[in-house]
Amino acid sequence: MAARASAAQLPLAMVGESEVARVAHVRGDAETRQHLANLGFVEGSEVKVISRAAGDVIVSVKGARLALNRAMASRIAVVL
Amino acid sequence: MAETIIGLAGNPNCGKTTLFNELTGSNGYVGNWPGVTVEKKQAAWRANRDVTFVDLPGIYSLSPYTPEEVVSRDYVVRERPDALINLVDVTNLERNLYLTTQLLEAGRPVVVGLNMCDLLKERGDVVDAAKLSEMLGVPVVEVSALRNTNLDELVNKAVAAGRAGRVQPGARCFSPEVEEALGKIAGIIASSCDAELSRWYSIKVFERDAEAIKALALTKAQLAEAEKVIKAVESARDDDAESIITSERYDWIAGVMEACVRKAPKKLSMSERIDRVVTNRVLGLPIFAVVMVLVYYIAVSTVGTWGTDWANDGVFGDGWLWNPADQAAFETATEEYDAGFYGDKIDGFLAAAEEAGIATDDVSAAVETLAEDPEDADAQAALSAFVAEAEAAGVTATDVPMHDGDGNFIDSNDEVVTRIDAEGNPVLADGQELAVIDTVTAADFEQAVAAQESAPALEDYGSFVPSIPSVIEGWLAAAGASEFVSALVLDGIVAGVGAVLGFIPQMLVLFVMLCFLEDCGYMSRVAFVMDRVFRRFGLSGKSFIPMLISSGCGVPGVMATKTIENEKDRRMTAMLTTMIPCGAKTPIIALVMGVLIGGSDAWWVAPMFYFLGLAAIIVSALMLKKTRMFAGDPAPFVMELPDYHFPTLKSWWLHVWERISAYLKKATTIIFAASVVVWFLLEFGFANWAGGNGAFGFLSLMDGAPEYYTDYSLLAIVGNAIAWIFAPLGADSWQAAAASINALIAKENLVSTFGVIYGIGDATENSVTMWSGFAGMFTDASGILHVGAMCAFVAFNMLDAPCFAAIGTIRRQMDSPKWFWFAIGYQCVFAWVVGLIINQLWELFALGNFGVWTVVAFVLLAAMVFQIARPMPKDETADEKILSSLSESAA
Repeated sequence: MAARASAAQLPLAMVGESEVARVAHVRGDAETRQHLANLGFVEGSEVKVISRAAGDVIVSVKGARLALNRAMASRIAVVL
Repeated sequence: MAETIIGLAGNPNCGKTTLFNELTGSNGYVGNWPGVTVEKKQAAWRANRDVTFVDLPGIYSLSPYTPEEVVSRDYVVRERPDALINLVDVTNLERNLYLTTQLLEAGRPVVVGLNMCDLLKERGDVVDAAKLSEMLGVPVVEVSALRNTNLDELVNKAVAAGRAGRVQPGARCFSPEVEEALGKIAGIIASSCDAELSRWYSIKVFERDAEAIKALALTKAQLAEAEKVIKAVESARDDDAESIITSERYDWIAGVMEACVRKAPKKLSMSERIDRVVTNRVLGLPIFAVVMVLVYYIAVSTVGTWGTDWANDGVFGDGWLWNPADQAAFETATEEYDAGFYGDKIDGFLAAAEEAGIATDDVSAAVETLAEDPEDADAQAALSAFVAEAEAAGVTATDVPMHDGDGNFIDSNDEVVTRIDAEGNPVLADGQELAVIDTVTAADFEQAVAAQESAPALEDYGSFVPSIPSVIEGWLAAAGASEFVSALVLDGIVAGVGAVLGFIPQMLVLFVMLCFLEDCGYMSRVAFVMDRVFRRFGLSGKSFIPMLISSGCGVPGVMATKTIENEKDRRMTAMLTTMIPCGAKTPIIALVMGVLIGGSDAWWVAPMFYFLGLAAIIVSALMLKKTRMFAGDPAPFVMELPDYHFPTLKSWWLHVWERISAYLKKATTIIFAASVVVWFLLEFGFANWAGGNGAFGFLSLMDGAPEYYTDYSLLAIVGNAIAWIFAPLGADSWQAAAASINALIAKENLVSTFGVIYGIGDATENSVTMWSGFAGMFTDASGILHVGAMCAFVAFNMLDAPCFAAIGTIRRQMDSPKWFWFAIGYQCVFAWVVGLIINQLWELFALGNFGVWTVVAFVLLAAMVFQIARPMPKDETADEKILSSLSESAA
């Protein structure tokens, strides 16, 4: 993991357990983007993956815990 | 003093409803499941009735992503409460402040309540409330809604702020360039909007929130000018306006957090550690399966069964004993009595006497009279006369078969004989021997009659509580009610509503456990874990919770669909969730399994039917997803997972009560009315029997009515009229149709209807007589049991429109006649098609019968397979593409 270039973006769905990443960009339609932003997924916010199973993740962001499925988690591009 | 209206706003699950209940004394249900309040609730303050609180739904922001946000936003901006209390969960401060920044702009005085400070202290974090108040520019009060601390201070500050009517300027949370742009926009729209809402609308214009600014009715020129300002900022920042606003809010909040919060060194919290385990890829599902097996074992097999037996056999049956010691004594006495097999001895001896040519009618009547009144002189005389005659003739009964408490034959190993032939004689397997009493002499007979006179009776015990029907029967008799009125009240209303209320204990046990799982926070994890599985079938994980609740009762199950945000997902779940077998369907399962395998004790029976219900839902979901109405993937799953906590007893009970009362309300309204209608249909009809005059009337009181008068009832007429619908399913009798209609009151009525129609009386689903009666309906003249037809009939009744109570709930939930009728229509058609396929395939492969309907069944089966297998009408694989392109770029 540490070998990955720090600037490369990857979907949140691919971040490993216990890793901390930073949101780089959120994709999807305006509504979904806004909803995710309201929940704390804005550029630069720190996301910690608490548990991960086949792309479904439970993360901690802005002090709250959220569960996202793979489709949702892959819309959030992060940098490690 | 003028009335002051205060709105309560806050994030989902921040303790707002607890606060509302604490302040107003109302008993709104509070859950640990985001989205409990969907509509706003209103009530007066306990301490001062001039202050009214409006509880708004929990929201993350004032942008209209969800219906809840729309409700809250419209309320704040249009209805203008005097003040707002923004309750903030300090354990989640950063997220909660995001909503706070928006509330500050809404042009109403705001007071912030910091809730759950006790939890924060446990964690070791410290929040500087004074500093926070200074940065937000509004009063901040530390409170605990759960322990009722500082709540009065919070309200007093809000009332003072509301009466002063001074609106805070709102946090200047944006960067200078954005603030400058907002200032320009404020100037452009100044002529169109209220000064108090100037900042609110400036930001909404900047975000291009078309719906929010519709109220301003801005001219094209104003919009064009604003657009220039927005574009300038967007191109300078290379981002869209909405994202700029959102991220700058969070940037500002990050600054606030730094200034006001001192965090204890981070460690994995208890909740996080639990989540690692229960949402684990490998362990998540097995853990959930174990929890559920445990829940159903307790609710259905042990505690729940005691409760149901108590309600059905006691409260609505023969009465019950409130003292457990009496109950134990009664059971011992009954056991001893049963071990004597007195009834069998009497029946056996009477039969033997009959064979020997002695008339037994008088003595049979005498034995019955003596059981009621051992002192009856006439009966005693008849008995001794009979005994003398039998002794003189030397009558002795031999090999009298024994029966168990349900009236079933038993074999020499004390097992129930599960097969009987059409005449009711036992059919034994190889090596099985019927349990018999070798000889019964006249002396044995006399002794048996004497023993029967002192048979243990519930009424003889001190703690006896009479059953509700018997109490009402007493009242009716005392009031001199006519036979018709008594029949209507007892057989129609009490029996109908009683059958339904009998499920309350089992439901209570189930919901006590399910509500605990919801309130402690586990259910939201389950929704997440199940999402992985359900998504493959086009359903969201959030659809799973309503289905789980439906296994207890469909009414609260359908109601639970309201927490699903996506409209398509919500409708589909409300349509399909009642296919899960609920408590009332278990007697039907017991009945059919009795016929098929001679009992329903096998552990796999109940789970199998849950699995079949689930399979029906999955097949339906796969088919419906391919229709235009439901096309598209289920909404991507994102859900907040609240911290685990042990629910307070009050909120736990309120939750259980909400579920149960939903069912109770239906039972006392819809089911009440339906019971009366069906009773009327069954008891009234035309006297068309041989010798009847064809007149319309109350059948059982008409001259010359045969014992099975229901054959001439209105229900029989209706049943006959629609029996053709069931003909392809192999059940073309009016009884089958009538039972299906009756099952709409409550599904378990299917069993009792057969009891009534076939004159088996109160035979239960565990009685072999009932099994053979039920099997008889599907047995043709040549004696072949059409298993396919029987399974088809049961499948139809499992999957078709649920009971009236659940139908009513679906109607309210769908809130659209079109969707309601579509749901009911789909359920019935789907159930019919499944029944048809089961019956026709069985007929073809097991019995070799082929006909037009066999072809229809194959065509429908092929159509279902095609509908499931065909590709989605619309390409919705965008997510997958994003995933693959991102993984490429990451590689």
